[in-house]
Amino acid sequence: MIDNKILNKDLRKKIVDMVIAGKDGHIPSAFSIIDIITLLYRNVLKFDAKTPEWLHRDYFILSKGHGCLALYVNLHRHGFITDRDIEMFCKQGGILGEHPDRTKVPGAEASTGSLGHGLSFAIGIALGLKIQGLNNRMFVLLGDGECQEGTVWEAANVARNRRLGNLCAIIDWNQSAMQLLPVDDMPKKWEAFGWNVHVVNGHDEEEMLDVIQKIEFNKDGIPTVIVAKTIKGKGVSMLEGHGIWHHRIPNEQEYKLIMEALS
Amino acid sequence: MSKSTRQQFADTMLAIGQENQNLVVMVGDIGHGMLKPFAEFCVNRYYNIGILEPTMISMGAGLAASGLCPVIHTIAPFMIERAFEQIKLDFCYHKLPGNIVTVGSAFDYSNLGCTHHCYGDFALLKTLPGTEICFPASAIEFDGLFRQSYQNNFLTIFRIAGASHDFNFKSEDIVFGKGICVEEGADLTIVATGPQLKMALSARDALHSRGISVEVIYIHTIRPLDVKLIRASAEKTGRVVVIEEHMRTGGLGDDVLRAIYDIPNLKFHSASIPDKFVTGYGTYEELCESIGLTPEELLISISNWFDT
Repeated sequence: MIDNKILNKDLRKKIVDMVIAGKDGHIPSAFSIIDIITLLYRNVLKFDAKTPEWLHRDYFILSKGHGCLALYVNLHRHGFITDRDIEMFCKQGGILGEHPDRTKVPGAEASTGSLGHGLSFAIGIALGLKIQGLNNRMFVLLGDGECQEGTVWEAANVARNRRLGNLCAIIDWNQSAMQLLPVDDMPKKWEAFGWNVHVVNGHDEEEMLDVIQKIEFNKDGIPTVIVAKTIKGKGVSMLEGHGIWHHRIPNEQEYKLIMEALS
Repeated sequence: MSKSTRQQFADTMLAIGQENQNLVVMVGDIGHGMLKPFAEFCVNRYYNIGILEPTMISMGAGLAASGLCPVIHTIAPFMIERAFEQIKLDFCYHKLPGNIVTVGSAFDYSNLGCTHHCYGDFALLKTLPGTEICFPASAIEFDGLFRQSYQNNFLTIFRIAGASHDFNFKSEDIVFGKGICVEEGADLTIVATGPQLKMALSARDALHSRGISVEVIYIHTIRPLDVKLIRASAEKTGRVVVIEEHMRTGGLGDDVLRAIYDIPNLKFHSASIPDKFVTGYGTYEELCESIGLTPEELLISISNWFDT
């Protein structure tokens, strides 16, 4: 069971404000992963925001690109992007759209949005790091719906067989996939592909951090997947679940209710 | 017997791989015999990655993002057509450089049928900003074109022809992005790419016997195309034929026509694969004949150009 504790309220509010200002965005998808991404940037990833291509950085790819608001607010918090960048979300001349763009956004390692690309691209980077004898770690966050794409399992197969122990995938298991294909035992699928599998509460930072800190990253080992049980829209009850809010902009009244819930 | 273009691919990989520690070769379960020397000398830089072309392409882009120089090799339809979106987004949109080497384009695998044919690859790839396309049909061309382009900032696709034109170019003739004037002439320009240079030269001989002077231009680099050379020839002769193993739509012929359409009184003919599936079996030569890629058919098509 996932408890009712709501973390990162300030970032959730910022996401909603960006959607209001930009008149577009996927709030529930971002709320589903905001706690995971916030933990990664605060406690896990090595990076230098002033030098996003720092050679010794850990790599992070948000493969479910439509959850990008959760990435943007963290890139902003840590200094990769500016206040002005945030203000220009979904505006002509801005660098932030509804999917992360590697060619525009400092810190975005991949342009995602078309589902099923991120893990395959990530294992290419992970293999490249291994070939070069580098110790950088590779993290990639996928949606559970995205795991219906065949390329995810192509990549899962290669990563295990090529022993990409420098790779950690995180699955945002918010049950979106089960709306379409209800038989969906996510941990068992990854176990069947031979990965190290951990199941965590994706809204519990302590639990996630404990698991991540115990992963033995190395250049010749078994890749790890963290299946994170999450709630789409987590933090505001009216947004939670798989209904109309997937890609909806709150009106004035709804905005007030959301902000009150996050107070 | 001269070395095959495909064997040259393996030899070039070995030679460059020994000099350049960043060269990484991934194949989709073909070519491992030929590439065995590369695998032995270039330890940890050869991967027979599996039968999963979309992921192989994405991985290649990832290798490039990590600072390496990827060469990805398998059968044309499974990379260019099946993995098209991976090429488009993971390489081209990301502006990541790399190299794709295909075999089995057009109907080189003649008896394997339509699943193994790929005659729309130029058309598809030309829609992608940041791609370069070569069609080497001899060993010396592959080696020269690859060495000149493999480290540049683009995704370069090398469409290795199964057949050869059997024309002996000198290595200094091979300049990436530059066409080759094989023979100068005054009455008609034939632009040929790939093994079809052989047909162009046969047609030239037949036309010469009728007193028609033919200029033959050979194109090994489809993109960037040597428009200057082609246009200068077309302005001189006013009659242009393009011969290629590609669908009429989106092939070299379209690019040539776009480059010369405004030349007054221009006559143009495309000898290419009709816009339909090639469903027959037999040898490569028999399939060429079945779709009219022969000197005889070409001469019939342009017979009224010289009546007056």
